[in-house]
Amino acid sequence: MVFKQLFNYLFIFLMLMLPTVSLFKFHQYMDIYEMFILIGTGITFIVIGKNWQNFRYLVLIVLILSFFSIFLYEGNLFSGEKQFVLKYFLSSQSAIMWMCSLYPLSLLIYWLYLFKRHSFFGNFASQLTWIATAMGFIGLLVRWFESYLISIDVGHIPISNLYEVFVLFCLVTALLHLYYEEKMNRKELGAFVLIVISVAVGFILWYTFSKGADAIQPLVPALQSYWMKIHVPANFVGYGAFAIAAMISVAYLLVNKGILKSRLPSLIILDDLTYKAIAIGFIFFTIATILGAVWAAEAWGGYWSWDPKETWALIVWLNYAGWLHLRLVKGLRGPMLAWWSVTGLLITTFAFLGVNLFLSGLHSYGEL
Amino acid sequence: MRFAITMLCFIGIASVIGTILKQNELYENYIIKFGQFWFEFFEVMGLYNVYQAFWFLVILIFLIISTSFCVSRNSPKILKEYKKFQLNAREKSLSSFKHSYEFPVKKFDFVKLEKLLLDNKFRLKRQIKKDGSLILSAKKGDFQKLGYIFTHLAIIIISIGGLMDGNLVLKMQELTGTKQIIYEDLALNDIPETGKLKTSNFSYRAQMLLREGEKQSVAVLKVKEGYLIQDLPFSVGLSDFRIKHYSTGQPKSFESDLIVEDKASGQLVKKTINVNNPLTFNGITIYQSSFEDGGSELALDIWNLHSPEKASKMESVIFKKNELVFNEKKYFFEFNDFRKFNILDIESGNKKTPTNVGPSFIYKVRNESGQAHEYQTYQFPMRIDKSLYFVSGMRKTPQEEYQYLKLPADANGEIEGFMIFRTLLHSPQTLNDAIEKVVAQSFPEGGEKSQIYFEGVKRVMSEFVHGGYSQIASSIDPSISLEDQKRIANSYIKIIFLVGQELIDIYQSNNAEIDNFLFESNYKFVQEALTGFNDSFFYGLPIFLELKEYVHIQSSGLQLTKSPGQFWVYLGCILLVLGIFCMIYIQEVRLWVLKKKDKKNVLVALTTNRHRYEFDQFAVRISQQIRKILN
Repeated sequence: MVFKQLFNYLFIFLMLMLPTVSLFKFHQYMDIYEMFILIGTGITFIVIGKNWQNFRYLVLIVLILSFFSIFLYEGNLFSGEKQFVLKYFLSSQSAIMWMCSLYPLSLLIYWLYLFKRHSFFGNFASQLTWIATAMGFIGLLVRWFESYLISIDVGHIPISNLYEVFVLFCLVTALLHLYYEEKMNRKELGAFVLIVISVAVGFILWYTFSKGADAIQPLVPALQSYWMKIHVPANFVGYGAFAIAAMISVAYLLVNKGILKSRLPSLIILDDLTYKAIAIGFIFFTIATILGAVWAAEAWGGYWSWDPKETWALIVWLNYAGWLHLRLVKGLRGPMLAWWSVTGLLITTFAFLGVNLFLSGLHSYGEL
Repeated sequence: MRFAITMLCFIGIASVIGTILKQNELYENYIIKFGQFWFEFFEVMGLYNVYQAFWFLVILIFLIISTSFCVSRNSPKILKEYKKFQLNAREKSLSSFKHSYEFPVKKFDFVKLEKLLLDNKFRLKRQIKKDGSLILSAKKGDFQKLGYIFTHLAIIIISIGGLMDGNLVLKMQELTGTKQIIYEDLALNDIPETGKLKTSNFSYRAQMLLREGEKQSVAVLKVKEGYLIQDLPFSVGLSDFRIKHYSTGQPKSFESDLIVEDKASGQLVKKTINVNNPLTFNGITIYQSSFEDGGSELALDIWNLHSPEKASKMESVIFKKNELVFNEKKYFFEFNDFRKFNILDIESGNKKTPTNVGPSFIYKVRNESGQAHEYQTYQFPMRIDKSLYFVSGMRKTPQEEYQYLKLPADANGEIEGFMIFRTLLHSPQTLNDAIEKVVAQSFPEGGEKSQIYFEGVKRVMSEFVHGGYSQIASSIDPSISLEDQKRIANSYIKIIFLVGQELIDIYQSNNAEIDNFLFESNYKFVQEALTGFNDSFFYGLPIFLELKEYVHIQSSGLQLTKSPGQFWVYLGCILLVLGIFCMIYIQEVRLWVLKKKDKKNVLVALTTNRHRYEFDQFAVRISQQIRKILN
């Protein structure tokens, strides 16, 4: 207990100290907004950590291993292919590959748990998801570092193309899932949520091996802004939450039909979880879209240009606004809303991926 | 409200159409895509510019009006309720609530009870009724209802802001005829007053294309297929435009050095703008939005691909036209673009990596009958399949992909070698010598057979020189079997190749000082040169333009935005987020505690307007706490 208390203080100390040290050391590479974002990130982590102990452990482990990886690189990009630990574990590519293999594995074990109902499987699946998430975050952080190794002016936060944001999507979705799982103290829903993560993993693998998408590319001029550090993550909390809502709705529909009824949580719980996920997603999506508009006003000369991505963001927003409206104001419940939330994921997916695939516009950063 | 939601749905559907149908393209592209009938139909519907179509604006206005009604009707109620504590609740109705608990109390301690409720963030009021009964009414989470006002107000404010920045005023002026869109290319002085917008114009998003060293004080507002001229309260001068590149060659930043001078006050501002750093001056924001060539000057060598002359010279300027008489035919050159950097996927090792292959220029060539081909020619040779080639793309229509003519670079990395080779093919004496050498290899002892063979090879060579492989193919007797045709064709190709090799050997032995062919083996070069020579018959032009020198002059495309609605849109957005927070995360709870005068029991009742899972838990918990306190 004392140890935990001590750890928590240490965590808060670190979250304040690390950004401060970075500010002193690297302030010449940052503008004022980026400094605020840096400090803000530390504070955000303190707040999340206060409500969620395991998040603190995750942050600390990710930081330690990422720094260890950076240490192993010795400032040379090619160490990633030579040094044993980097090559097989901690280079960004290997870490992301670990993530890609562990998520589908934990999906399998979640299903085992669903059928065998032995708590061992449930805990194991959860732990695997935690490890996969840690590896994914390490992968992104190390990738961030690697981009600077390529060249100082190439370096940028790895949320700039389709490959990177897909990794981010997996991580955010998994984190939200782990949070709800812990608060609910029930692990069955992993069997559903991990499906959508595994599909995303499949996309990442295909994208890596057939298109070589994992190569780090320098930022196009339009993306060189501190706004990217806020706009993109906020958007992906939205996407991730909507994805979770849709998968829980699938569970809802199954239970409603009497399938797996004895093994899954009750309709009331599922319904409430869907609502919570959509609510949090909606707030983040709203903020992300607004921030996107503010950014657009700065980069493209207008806060709203009816660019396909913007327009589809509006459609996604209207869709979930309608969902919330019916539920909150009209008090509607039941399978209709569940179907709606599943459809919502399709619309969201189109906004997220389809627009890049089929429509051209200002947001064409991640083409296939 | 149903009306407002229908309007929102309409906006959603219209928006989808706007994303599927590419907006604001050239009208001719639409005609090609849909045909005349549907083109006109869609035009009437305003589908080429959905978001500024009349009906779209009307929907927006209706949305604002209906939402305003909604808010003005409901807000007073909500505000009134904020103050109101329902102290006159009756026992009967309270006990009918889902969460209604009745239990006996020992001592009715108001102080403790109120403290408990205050600790739980309730606001409360109590009353002793005429019949002596005590009622305590508590509530919390009133802000949830304020969320309703916030979100709806936000929608109104955002829509109004959007309309302020839309082109409603312009549309009115166009309808009344005070402003007329100009469709032809006019000089600034010839533009009529009806085609000009004053500096007092409320809001706009206009474009300005500035050449390096140029200064302008008007911008162009594109409307449909035409434009209007927007007068500005200041002048904008461009002293320099730069594209910075990463080491891989991809663009890193587009920067314009601007000098802005206010017309009235003479105030001068110098600033470098780039994509994420606009300049705001007197309420107008200037953005870096595009760039194009500003009339670069090119010095070109003209090579005739089909006859052995030396190169002649030509000077040209981008956006200008040149006329050229060539083999007694007239050609009209229109130079359209010069690109200093071209990033292509070029093989390096086993992977293809984006590489800067250097400058290229784009031009159209029209022959006398008006037929045009478009060309993109690169200045420097590039590496393809481990060989260096001078590359020039040709296409007949802008929709097509370029087809590439690839001429191999010689041992010095120049085009000279290929051109010498072309001359050799056209010089009868050297050709005869080479053919003789090839024939002598097959018939060392000479004789009549060798003479026939010589004539045959000569005929093949002559056909190749005047029309490439396809000309030879057409001379093969079509009545013989396909296999035989193939066999003959292959032997011809082999002979041509051998002659080609001999040509270079002879040339090299006669001109020892020439170093264009100092290869280890000329095998690869001859093969590539023959392919290039053959392909030149499909190039659509007997001329190859080689870029020798250039002076790069650029234009920067600026966007000038006056957007008075922006403030309101942002304000609306803040309200929207606040409102959503209130609606989602604040739960309204009402609680009553009722004690009748002559009864030992106390009645606790709870209700909420939005029933949620957590509320049940909360209700049970708080009622138990109350019970504990009063016991």
